[in-house]
Amino acid sequence: MFNMLNLIRNEHMKLFKQFSTWVMVGLLVLVLLIVGIATKYLADSQTSENWKMQLQAENQQLTEQKEQVPDIGKSHDVLEERIAINQYRIDHDIPPIENKTLWGFMNSATNLTSLVTLFTIVIAAGIVAGEFSWGTIKLLLIRPVSRSKILLSKFMTTLLFALYNLFILFISSFIFGAIFFGFEGKELPYLAFVDGEVVERNMITHILTLYGLNSVDLIMMVTFAFMISTVFRNRSLAVGLSIFLMFTGQQVVMLLSEYEWVKYILFANTNLSQYMNGQPLVEGMTMTFSITVLLVYFILFVTMSWTIFQRRDVAN
Amino acid sequence: MERNPIVQMKNVTKKIGPKTIIDDLTLDIYRGEVFGFLGPNGAGKTTTIRLMAGLIELTDGDILINGHSIQKNFEKAIAHVGGIIENPEMYKFMSGYDNLVHYARMFPEKISQERIDEVVRLVGMEKRIHEKVKSYSLGMRQRLGLAQALLHSPSLLILDEPTNGLDPAGIREVRNYLRNIAHEQNIAVFVSSHLLSEIQLMCDRVGIIQNGKLISVESVSNLVENREYVAVRIETEPVQKTYELLKQSYPDKKVTITDQAIQMEAKREDLPDINKLLVTNGIAVYEIMSNKGTLEEKFLEMTGGNIDV
Ligand SMILES: Nc1ncnc2c1ncn2[C@@H]1O[C@H](COP(=O)(O)OP(=O)(O)O)[C@@H](O)[C@H]1O
Ligand SMILES: [Mg+2]
Repeated sequence: MFNMLNLIRNEHMKLFKQFSTWVMVGLLVLVLLIVGIATKYLADSQTSENWKMQLQAENQQLTEQKEQVPDIGKSHDVLEERIAINQYRIDHDIPPIENKTLWGFMNSATNLTSLVTLFTIVIAAGIVAGEFSWGTIKLLLIRPVSRSKILLSKFMTTLLFALYNLFILFISSFIFGAIFFGFEGKELPYLAFVDGEVVERNMITHILTLYGLNSVDLIMMVTFAFMISTVFRNRSLAVGLSIFLMFTGQQVVMLLSEYEWVKYILFANTNLSQYMNGQPLVEGMTMTFSITVLLVYFILFVTMSWTIFQRRDVAN
Repeated sequence: MERNPIVQMKNVTKKIGPKTIIDDLTLDIYRGEVFGFLGPNGAGKTTTIRLMAGLIELTDGDILINGHSIQKNFEKAIAHVGGIIENPEMYKFMSGYDNLVHYARMFPEKISQERIDEVVRLVGMEKRIHEKVKSYSLGMRQRLGLAQALLHSPSLLILDEPTNGLDPAGIREVRNYLRNIAHEQNIAVFVSSHLLSEIQLMCDRVGIIQNGKLISVESVSNLVENREYVAVRIETEPVQKTYELLKQSYPDKKVTITDQAIQMEAKREDLPDINKLLVTNGIAVYEIMSNKGTLEEKFLEMTGGNIDV
């Protein structure tokens, strides 16, 4: 165990002694700052004093829409949820969360987890392939440490890098949010729709849940990149392939969604929020099903990486 | 000298694809000796070292280090091995010192800061050790490579062409240091090289590898004795007459005609006599050359030219 800790320290040292690592962390904060400034000075205020009237109008529209469209899948459920939450706001005097507030900003900052995913893919792609291209792999592997432990320390360091970045994103979105928009409306809850009823939730809990949901995609893509990096020892291939799949995977799955088998594709399952609001991609998919599929892919990626890394001749 | 070998290579064979790169190599190495592994480029020195270090899998045979199989009991076998394999590639974006800290953390027993400093002093890197490896010359990287190999006081030191990139003074230093640790600290040092001269000065025993086969293992003192015979190339006109004349005068020596010139082995002090003999017999002598170019020729020189290359 002590051994493992040392290996992780080593991987951290190598990671953070590289300038490019800090560039990524810096970029993340910079992008967030730009989003903050743009939101404060460029975006229009969406809601005004008479938000209740706006919501009422919206509800009227939604009710009409509900009568017009046939009830396929869960389309009516989605409309009902929106109507119920709007009504709850009107009844309990809880205005919607505006973009130009602390909560609004922190909510939209969760979208930047895809940037964290991107950066972590780059790290995952380099952390094994780099040792091969630098030639340092030879000196790394002639120590009384098993190859599987070395690989594990690299995988854990990659995931920790993602965790640090998510933490930085969360904290800086709080700080920038507080600076730009103040604490007005900080008592407002998040409204969830559970079993046909509107319930109030703590906003921080809700934001953390969003991070959790986004991390599913992150972990899967990063593990994929790690596998490619280990199997092919090629950094560019790992980055290219992972980012390509990250951007096209969802669309391809959408295009093919009329086929039943599409539900076995990784990307049909990475978005777990499909079970919380709205309808799943393919009729009959459940949260349990998706988690099982995700686990199968994860185990597949990990097994591939470990088996190949352990057997490989280091001869370059 | 302890007579239990620290390394036992038993019928070691490595095939990559259809090609046999190491062919049935059997060799023991003992503590307290500097063992030279001599062979031309592409002979299989690095491959043998990779096999010893567990970087590549054996196709056949086994390698035991301290009695532990490098294949089946890797961690135990490698625990007391330090090495440089090919060029000592380090993390260029870190300082030499951080590189050493990195490797020091990979051993089960704690390696103290004092030990790191000690090794740095040993290889004479005190002044530059906190600079990034990027800025090091090849010689300095070689020294840092040696430092990381020595960190955990190994009982077997494997060095792949360790004097590559060193200046003559550095080479002398490394040579003396290796002889010292082998003889005084009872460590086995396994050094590969394609340079005979280097092996001669540094090693106690030498194994010669060619095309993946270990063709001889000898003590260096034997080799040096053989050195008084050199392979000589004589260009004359007419060649055939020269050949017959030499055959007659030196019946116990091997004389051949190769590329329109005479090849023979002779003692260095015989050369003036040979010259005189030819001249007095009316043969035009254009050139008498004793071979000391590539290892292959030197190798022929040592073994009396009776092995086909
Ligand atoms: N990964 C490999 N694949 C195919 N052939 C290889 C590989 N590694 C080495 N060789 C071949 O094996 C032979 C021995 O190489 P090597 O051990 O590096 O020689 P040396 O270190 O003595 O110069 C060479 O002919 C080389 O081309
Ligand atoms: Mg070599």
